[in-house]
Amino acid sequence: MEAILVAVLNGLVVGASIALVASGLALLFGVLEILNLAQGDYFMLGGYVLWLSLTHGQSFWVGAAAAAVVVGVAGGLVLMIMLRPLRHRPTGLILLATLALSLILEQLATSTFGGDTKSIHPPIAGVLAVGTKNYPVYDLVIVAVAAAILLGGFLFLRYAKYGIWLRAVAQNHEMASVLGVPVSRVYMLAFIISSALAGVAGSLLVPLTGVYPTVGLDITVSSFIVVIAGGLGNFRGAALIAVVLGVVQSVGAIWVRAQAVQIIVFALVILLLIVRSRRQSVLIRL
Amino acid sequence: MLELQELHSFYGRSHVVQGVSLSVGAGEAVGLVGRNGVGKTTTLKSIMGLVPQTSGRILFKDKDLRSSATHARAGRGLGFVPDERAVFPRMTVEENIRIGAFLQPGPQQAGCLATAYELFPVLGRRRNQAAGTLSGGEQKMLSLARGLALKPDLLLVDEPSEGLMPINVDLISRALQQAAATGMSILVVDASFELLRSVCGRLYVMEQGLITGEHKLSEFSTPADLVKTYLRGQA
Repeated sequence: MEAILVAVLNGLVVGASIALVASGLALLFGVLEILNLAQGDYFMLGGYVLWLSLTHGQSFWVGAAAAAVVVGVAGGLVLMIMLRPLRHRPTGLILLATLALSLILEQLATSTFGGDTKSIHPPIAGVLAVGTKNYPVYDLVIVAVAAAILLGGFLFLRYAKYGIWLRAVAQNHEMASVLGVPVSRVYMLAFIISSALAGVAGSLLVPLTGVYPTVGLDITVSSFIVVIAGGLGNFRGAALIAVVLGVVQSVGAIWVRAQAVQIIVFALVILLLIVRSRRQSVLIRL
Repeated sequence: MLELQELHSFYGRSHVVQGVSLSVGAGEAVGLVGRNGVGKTTTLKSIMGLVPQTSGRILFKDKDLRSSATHARAGRGLGFVPDERAVFPRMTVEENIRIGAFLQPGPQQAGCLATAYELFPVLGRRRNQAAGTLSGGEQKMLSLARGLALKPDLLLVDEPSEGLMPINVDLISRALQQAAATGMSILVVDASFELLRSVCGRLYVMEQGLITGEHKLSEFSTPADLVKTYLRGQA
């Protein structure tokens, strides 16, 4: 029982970080129909921004905020500038462009920071007793912060002016512009929020995983599974499925080998896609 | 308020609008009639900036709009209600209205909602319902209410009565009449004689991408007179 509880908590931590990255992916797809293969690299950049902030004497939380801002603005602008000429071109071209961006960022990180893992201590050292085991408080803080960010994102999309405009543009950008919505500005916001979510997730996870140039690879794969399973463009669906995926993988690993759990998850996603395509359900539901 | 001078619009190689010139005065309601496919909708879309290839001049409040983006034209006081059910289906009725209302100063935003619900009370009763679940007629009402509630200086309305039951056509005619009475300029494309007669003072006839006639509504006493005019006796 104790092992299951710890596995659930571990799953929540993994799920929360995947949720942040995946909800950014879902948002970008919902508004612009762009699948960003460099999302995991923005996660990696978030980690490096935090590491740099700490080496320059800033506090952990200032570094995490800087990761969100720097990756959000710089990453968002790079994506926008790179993809603007490719609007209305085949989706394959856009995918290839984001893949190229991903490779460039990984090489840049390797040549700038080296291929070694940079480790950081958690900002909160305390532990919580779970039965006979001690569970790090910081891990729970990750879940709480991620939940707060995602709840904030949900409320923003539901009630804020730009949140409502993001949903309107996702559904019908031409009609939104007829009503006076500055569509280009909304596109820019989608790029920035999507990148910032990956950046902040990367910074939060550094104390657990360390940061190295390919740290975002695994989370990219998991995020794509989540976004596909949750419904492309579905912000809420992505967040929910991410948490479920994290918990299932973590708890499943108690009885089955981790690789086998991964295979089962992939099989379930394929099954879900088959069912969904037969029901002709709408994929974009921002 | 609006003056089109030699407007040409293209979809690829197709030359749809071939030199349209027309005007709508301040506080005036004008109709635009013609057979299907003569370029009426394209004319309205060109004014709104939704047709990428255009030439000629689109003067709105004495400024040429051709270099302005669609949202900037809306910001200058131009409204457009398209013929298709142009609602945001997965957003509520209230959210559909708020999209445009956000551009109004704070205190006037609530006024937009009140205006829309006053024009079409059924929308008020369904304010929390997803717009995509409304009936076809209700979606048309929402689209028109959203356009009118923003109180643009000039509202372009495309086929508001198309596919509606007579009772809904009456509601829509009354809403446009009320808007015209408040001084809003209106350019409406429609085939309903009753709607045009109740809203507009004059109308333009369009054929094959060109304006071929200008008439006062008082010249027509029956729907057949109007049809004969724009079908040139082929009705």
